[in-house]
Amino acid sequence: MFLDLNIKGQDFDKNIEMANHSKKYGWNHINFSYNPNDFKEALKFKKELNSYFDGTITIDYTLEFKPKNQNELVKITKKFRDKCNCITITGGDLKINRACCENIKVDVLSRPYLKRFDSGLNHVLAKEAVNNNVAIELSFNDILNSYLSYRSKIIANFKDIYTLYRKFDFPLVLSSRSKSIFDIKSPYDLLYFFKSTGLSEDDFFKSQKTSQDILEFNKNRKNMILKGVRRIDNEA
Amino acid sequence: MKLKVLPPTLRKNNHYIVVDIYSQCEITKNEFISIVWDGCIRYFGECHTANFNLWIMRFQQIEHDSLKYYQSVIRCQRGFEDDLRVALTCVNNYKHDRISIITIGISGTIKSAVNKFFVK
Repeated sequence: MFLDLNIKGQDFDKNIEMANHSKKYGWNHINFSYNPNDFKEALKFKKELNSYFDGTITIDYTLEFKPKNQNELVKITKKFRDKCNCITITGGDLKINRACCENIKVDVLSRPYLKRFDSGLNHVLAKEAVNNNVAIELSFNDILNSYLSYRSKIIANFKDIYTLYRKFDFPLVLSSRSKSIFDIKSPYDLLYFFKSTGLSEDDFFKSQKTSQDILEFNKNRKNMILKGVRRIDNEA
Repeated sequence: MKLKVLPPTLRKNNHYIVVDIYSQCEITKNEFISIVWDGCIRYFGECHTANFNLWIMRFQQIEHDSLKYYQSVIRCQRGFEDDLRVALTCVNNYKHDRISIITIGISGTIKSAVNKFFVK
């Protein structure tokens, strides 16, 4: 099963076009990402979107935002935690990266290397990400829309993250972050791309499993009382 | 004088990659050839691209309501299909217009590539 947790959400018609294109090239599930301002509007046509495809491709929403500081991160995360299945924070700032890795309510830290000269992660953040089950997202669109030395530097950042990933085994998510149908590729294209940068095939499929686990975990999040404790219905 | 054809054991083994091409502007076969070579040389460099044995075997335009849509069969040396695929995936634009190349299949012969994956 192939999942893309981050495709830029737009209006209803554009979303249908993107979902159709994704379906054609083999994706089984996509998440449209919205910022907190557009999220409520987008929720209105979520059911309609899913019924349009009738289960051939499933669609969900991701809340994606770039907080100015740690307080804003906590505030917005708290506000939207029960309303969406996936919360993604755009990284880049070291303080945000750290606050994100330490926050158990955050699902994904997206692009920790953004606008930086290094990968934005170290062994401390990697350990925190493992403890709090925060996934690190690498987006293919950064590679696609850059060229020459910029592209090389982003690939170098990816490789640094792979090194930490192999040692600490934090959840890794690979997404396309497509903004138009020109950015949508087939899952196997992405697989071979990440393979060429040094990630193994098993790791790619593990990242798909991680994406699936994030969505499934969040469906049950309300019943998680403590870590490892889940409220269940009285089935007996 | 023409060179004598190599015996089968000395010939290179090829595989054929079928790709979908979406573009904002019209592209010709010659333009597509330069897009493929450019993409490979940019991503893998001149030395590694020399192994690919690239050749465009088929190129056709297909009707699409909103975009220019083409399909093509590209020849590639056996063992380098994945590399070619990656290089084509990373192609983003051509002459300031957006372009997207997606691999839809790999085959051992042109005939099966066309039969399996080409839109008729």
